[in-house]
Amino acid sequence: MSVDIVMPRLSDSMEEGTVLTWMKQVGDEVALGEELVEIETDKANMVFESDAAGTLIEIVAEEGVTLPIGEVIARVGEKGETPKDAASAEATEDGAARAGSSAVQTSQSPRIHAADARSDPPDLGDDEAAAGDPSPVSDAAPSTQTDPASEGGRVKASPLARRIAEEKGVDLGALAGSGPGGRVIKVDVENASAAPVPEEQAAATPTPTVSAKEKPETAKGAVEVVELTKLQQTVSRRMAESKATAPHFYLQAEIDMSRCFEARTRVKAAAKEGDVVPSFNDMVVKACAIALRQFPRANGAYRDGKFELYERVNVGIAVAARDALVVPTVFDADRKGLTAIATESRSLAARVRDGSVTPPELSGGTFTVSNLGMYGISNFHAVINAPQAAILAVGAIEEKPVVYDGEIAVGRIMGVTLACDHRILYGADGAEFLARVKSLLSEPLGLAL
Amino acid sequence: MAAQRMREALRDAMAEEMRRDESVYVMGEDVAVFQGAFKVTEGLLEEFGERRVRDTPISENTMVGMGVGSAMAGLRPVVELMTVNFALLAFDQMINHAAAIPYMFNGQARVPMVIRMPGGGGHQLGPTHSHSFEAMFLQIPGLLVACPSTPADGKGMLKAAIRDDNPVIFIEHEALYGARGEVPESDDHVVEFGKAAVRRSGTDVTIVGILRMADIAQQAAKTLANDHGVEAEVIDPRTLRPLDLDTILESVRKTNRLVIVEEGWPHGGVGANIAALVAEQAFDHLDAPVQRVTGADVPMPYSKRLEQSAIPHPENVVSAALATTQGALG
Repeated sequence: MSVDIVMPRLSDSMEEGTVLTWMKQVGDEVALGEELVEIETDKANMVFESDAAGTLIEIVAEEGVTLPIGEVIARVGEKGETPKDAASAEATEDGAARAGSSAVQTSQSPRIHAADARSDPPDLGDDEAAAGDPSPVSDAAPSTQTDPASEGGRVKASPLARRIAEEKGVDLGALAGSGPGGRVIKVDVENASAAPVPEEQAAATPTPTVSAKEKPETAKGAVEVVELTKLQQTVSRRMAESKATAPHFYLQAEIDMSRCFEARTRVKAAAKEGDVVPSFNDMVVKACAIALRQFPRANGAYRDGKFELYERVNVGIAVAARDALVVPTVFDADRKGLTAIATESRSLAARVRDGSVTPPELSGGTFTVSNLGMYGISNFHAVINAPQAAILAVGAIEEKPVVYDGEIAVGRIMGVTLACDHRILYGADGAEFLARVKSLLSEPLGLAL
Repeated sequence: MAAQRMREALRDAMAEEMRRDESVYVMGEDVAVFQGAFKVTEGLLEEFGERRVRDTPISENTMVGMGVGSAMAGLRPVVELMTVNFALLAFDQMINHAAAIPYMFNGQARVPMVIRMPGGGGHQLGPTHSHSFEAMFLQIPGLLVACPSTPADGKGMLKAAIRDDNPVIFIEHEALYGARGEVPESDDHVVEFGKAAVRRSGTDVTIVGILRMADIAQQAAKTLANDHGVEAEVIDPRTLRPLDLDTILESVRKTNRLVIVEEGWPHGGVGANIAALVAEQAFDHLDAPVQRVTGADVPMPYSKRLEQSAIPHPENVVSAALATTQGALG
């Protein structure tokens, strides 16, 4: 017999929740109180601990799905049980329960098992076990006959709704329930009997709020409402979360990339057909990786009132994909040569664009570089890829007059902005980190060492 | 009417009944010279003397046994136990004697006694001094169970308890001793047992709360009205046996939804009992499953945070009420 796991009420004001991550897969054993699913509420993302034990036999609400409180999100049953078994067992049991409830029982009648209780040894432990054991209900079920009226699936309705429906001759099966879990409640029956409509129509328009949403005429003309893809939902959620929870501050610098330009020109000239020539962005990635190794808090995260400092330096590169934004990761960028980084970043970007990139390649980043230089943007502020400590926004390289030792020269200036989470990376630390990146790019010999 | 604290109202109830009836006397640990661990018997020794206001040894079963014997012999004892937890030591006298004797002797012997005891948590008194055992006493046929939540009820119900010919378990809440309220000054202010008080009228959900939870229920009802547009009807049953089920049923027939709040444990609790009675007698009037808000299913913790999280708060009641109205109210 399976137990429904329903969308829990995780805050007072919560009306619906979004399934973010299932921590268990179908077939996994789940213990009572074990972390089962991460749910986004109107307030926060919370991990819901299972309120049932057994095997997860069905995930009803996939990741990204939003459901009101009380809707079934998964089912837990016995090992080897399939959702279908569970559904038919449930129907039988419901029928039995209904048959039982119609039997007349008076509270005054003496309890027959009172005599049995006396023969039990006076062991307190037994009482405790009995209180926690839900089995008596299911034990009783097979002995009672099923209610023929339950054929074709029982309609979930409150006792009051059932009574009113019977009095008014309303077909419960034709109603969409607005109670928890789709239960038909009094208001549904009353609405149905107040405004009689053909059955199909009643089923098609369960609540007036739905029709009110259709194509509203506004001063902006017709409104096209576009549903977000799962990826877009994730981007919007994580960006908003980052800005809302991480106190951002920004450090700007101009880096003269003249030496990098010279170095790259020489590498390019020496390159044979098919050789990969590192881009300026690859150099930025490498410079950041070296600096991250030297500034552990830039290579960390603020999480639950603690600093997490990571052993590996994994630099994420923000890549624009079709209508979305993804950040593939160059793992151990501090230990990889420029050519290796260049090869890897190119292959990752290509696979992001054709959609073949895999989830492990998109996670594990400890820092992010976002480059909009190719669009001619001279400088911009990026949103931190939470929970990372910082993100470096990289602008275009522009030829500009610069002054060196009192002489005006032409520099190849690249504007960068480091956005820092002030909870872990403070002003001076961020500045030192950025200064190190700047010096590595101004004198790129360090990148090759 | 005069504003009084619960402890003063209870003291006045005893003093008035002692003046009215020579057979009424008070005994318990520290009730005389020390004037009560919670100062409920303040001034009684001075007015009524050692014969009628008696300090006892720390021996609950003996105290209650003395009460039973003297009640059978024609007196009206009011026995004070320092907390409900200590009442467990006197279960033999309460259940095997006080509750059973009138039945065993077919009414030829009566036990007109009151056993007063404070319970409830919130003061960091740990698992041996802060429990709520209303449900345990409620289970025993032969005992009446009174749970006053206001000073006026405290006075009127204690006077009724003293005048009643049955043994009465009179449960007070430690956190309510200092609660203030208007109390009728009349000697005849008696609150009849088995009459619930409707503390607030409402149409959307019925909330039943006892002792301190009667107040918590009213706080929740205010939030429900102000923040959620839900009008809750709040009922304080005042006595659990006899229980004024009619008032609860009448309210449920109107609101179609029920939440029961108590500080005691969930299994076999006051809420479980009322939920079962309502399901039996008003099944076709329920539009949502009955919700219970109870104390946590653990011995009362000592740690302040844990203790607070083991006791129901208004927000728990609000959540439970909203669970019953989900989808039903625009």
